[in-house]
Amino acid sequence: MKLKKYLTLTRAGIIEALQFRLSAFIMVVGNILYLIIVYFLWKAIYASSGSDVVNGMTFHDTLIYLVLATALFNFMEMYTVWQMGRSIQSGKIVLDLIKPMNCRSYLFWSYSGNFVVNFFFTFLPTFIIVSAVTDGAVPLGINLLYFVCSVVMAIVINYSIDFFVGTICVYTESIWGINIMKQVVVRLLSGAMIPIAFFPEALRSVIYYLPFQWIYNAPLTLLLDGSPGTDKVLEVLGTQLIWCVVMTVLSKLFWRFSLRQITVNGG
Amino acid sequence: MSDIIEIKNITKEFKVLNRREGLLGSFKDLFSRNYKTVRAVDNISMTVGQGEIVGYLGPNGAGKSTTIKMMTGVLEPTSGEILVGGSIPYKNRTKNAQEIGVVFGQRSQLWWALPLVESFRILRDIYQIPEQNYKDMLELYQSLVDIEPLLHKPVRQMSLGQRTLSDILAAFLHDPKIVFLDEPTIGLDVSMKAKIRTLIHALNREKKTTVILTTHDMGDVDALCRRIVIIDKGKMLYDNDIEHLKSFFGSYRTLKVRADGDLREQAEVIQGELPDMKVWADDEWISVLVDEEKAKVLDVLGKLQQSHSIRDMKLEEISTEEVIKKIYEEGVK
Amino acid sequence: MKRKGLRFYLRIYRKILAQDIKSKMSYRADFIISTIGMIFTNIAGFVSFWILFRSFPSINGWSYHEMLFLYGFSLVSLTPVQCLFDNNWSLRQYVYTGDFIKYCFRPINLFFYFQSEVFDIKGLGQLAFGIATIAYSWSKIGLGFSALMLLKLIVFLLTASLIMIAMQNAAAATCFWIQNSFYVLDLAFGMKDYAKYPITIFSTVFKFIFTFVVPIAFIAYYPSLVILRPDEIPLLSWLSPLVGIVFFYLSYRFWMYGAMKYSGTGS
Repeated sequence: MKLKKYLTLTRAGIIEALQFRLSAFIMVVGNILYLIIVYFLWKAIYASSGSDVVNGMTFHDTLIYLVLATALFNFMEMYTVWQMGRSIQSGKIVLDLIKPMNCRSYLFWSYSGNFVVNFFFTFLPTFIIVSAVTDGAVPLGINLLYFVCSVVMAIVINYSIDFFVGTICVYTESIWGINIMKQVVVRLLSGAMIPIAFFPEALRSVIYYLPFQWIYNAPLTLLLDGSPGTDKVLEVLGTQLIWCVVMTVLSKLFWRFSLRQITVNGG
Repeated sequence: MSDIIEIKNITKEFKVLNRREGLLGSFKDLFSRNYKTVRAVDNISMTVGQGEIVGYLGPNGAGKSTTIKMMTGVLEPTSGEILVGGSIPYKNRTKNAQEIGVVFGQRSQLWWALPLVESFRILRDIYQIPEQNYKDMLELYQSLVDIEPLLHKPVRQMSLGQRTLSDILAAFLHDPKIVFLDEPTIGLDVSMKAKIRTLIHALNREKKTTVILTTHDMGDVDALCRRIVIIDKGKMLYDNDIEHLKSFFGSYRTLKVRADGDLREQAEVIQGELPDMKVWADDEWISVLVDEEKAKVLDVLGKLQQSHSIRDMKLEEISTEEVIKKIYEEGVK
Repeated sequence: MKRKGLRFYLRIYRKILAQDIKSKMSYRADFIISTIGMIFTNIAGFVSFWILFRSFPSINGWSYHEMLFLYGFSLVSLTPVQCLFDNNWSLRQYVYTGDFIKYCFRPINLFFYFQSEVFDIKGLGQLAFGIATIAYSWSKIGLGFSALMLLKLIVFLLTASLIMIAMQNAAAATCFWIQNSFYVLDLAFGMKDYAKYPITIFSTVFKFIFTFVVPIAFIAYYPSLVILRPDEIPLLSWLSPLVGIVFFYLSYRFWMYGAMKYSGTGS
């Protein structure tokens, strides 16, 4: 059965992730610290602005947005570029190539166990706490369904970008440099650290045509908007779908092209 | 000959985590863990004299590395006494480090991107080697092996053999009293192995350096060591001359014959005929291990000739390799 | 054996550093890409800063340029940890593979020997950004200039840098006990991003925590008050050099303790 071989990888990933209870704990501590700082920083910003609504978002909105963006970020961070870079450099990639599965799926499914663990241990608790604490500020309705669809596509877009950037490591030894550039660009332009609404108009219209904001900004906008119009939902999900296809095709083509480099040069 | 290493009843214990298996097991591990104590080195004593080459042998996981780490001052023994050059290694790690050199066959300690001579210069400064000694040492090296082409080659461009050679030279550079060699010939081809052995031997002779050699290659032992120490599961099995060890098994000889037909099938037949001797076959020979106290080799040969057509034969003394193998398997009586 | 004084260590340091820079230069592409990555990171940092604070004349009594000064101060005081103690990031690998043992056999200080092996040149880019930022905001605020102020600035920058070094040493040293210490190190290093905000935005509890428990307020806030608010310098600002030295010493002892306890996982 085809699915079974993928689920085996998921299961192995869960076991591996559970081994490291300490790392999970530390990640939680790190997130809490980050959120504390985010809380006070934005509180200071809103206090200084002298009004309750800045750029169309209340303090509550901003906070919920950033908390969930962080949870989503931890959920989706796969360290793909590092893994690919390392295995390309050490020549271990050859072992991955002889697996009866293409490299792209293998890497993805090897990591999928962490999705499960992260979902239950970080995202879900965060979500529940946020909904409870803000007492209904997160609408619970059809928007949840949109959100889930949107997150699934966000994962695909994110992974495709990662895989594309990871492929660059075939040509250069500079994993750190490549990874940091990707990380910085994605973090800033996806709205993971500052809601896109706060960006200046000109920057916002540029970002609209880039794939990044469809990773974090899109699902969160759908989630936080209690009754989004059908137009808007279709627009967001449609654009995400287009990016899914475009990025998947691009990353696959680039990989296939670069694979020739490996097979010709012996890695 | 004065003793450079004195070890009295040292023991080293480690705490090891017991991991549970499977999905459920990993989940349980999240909440509770249990540890067990493993005794890696168990009550070992020995002394080594200045200038000796000692082969330190044992199967994987026997506790060799742990002992060596204690001698180099990296590990503190759980109990027992250890003196290297008159002082306690783990209490005077840096002082002890000045007196020792260490080589690991698989991991180079040289600066990866630098030509060898640059690594030597850094080492010269770190060990504060006087200029004259440094020059003399390089001359000595040059007289032993042709290091000139190596000196200007970055370590990462060297072959494994050249790298090992360089690592050994680097370990001897500050004229240490003891050099620890951990599998120095691992992964090398035959001629490189011979070259490395000659080098170690020459340096030991020239500098009166004590050498502690861990290896799985009995060729190293035969070429270099008079004395061997064998440990297994942390316990000392044997500590004496190699010759003495062989005399334990001295009455054994291996008779090798070639016969017509399938060798393995024939070997089984022969085993049936000679039930109290060990018989085995490889692609070329059928071997019979003969205990000369019980039977004469010629008698055995004669017996074989009656029922098999023997085309060729040879006689082998038992090798160190086989002795060690027997000790690992059966221990010393 | 000769005594090993400061001069001995300085000479060794120079030699070992030189070898690292030489070998870095031999991977030119990596060097260039990493440098670009570093510049990217800094630009993204400034863009975020600008997006957040551009529309507010002051946050919590801190003017835009004063905030910028803090930011620049944190960049400079974080340079030494980036440049000189980068090998801490590899410590975990060395311990895991057992290669760490090779550092233990030399007759010089273990901590020194280990750290001296790597010099991260790209950190100098951050230094340049930081100095430029300090200079720019300094002139905008109109602080005036004297040799004494410059001296104070340098002393406080140097001692402030010890805080982050101490945090990173301590975090890196956890790998002697636990397997997945990467997360600890990443958490500690992530703290640097929060150092640039004035501590007054936090509530009392967190003011206390960020001053005495996780002392990030000493990276930029307290020491820069000496320059920024010369009329109302709190005692903690004057104490910050002492705090830096004490924390550094403690972290050094902790690191060495770990290294000595280290029992080697490999053969």
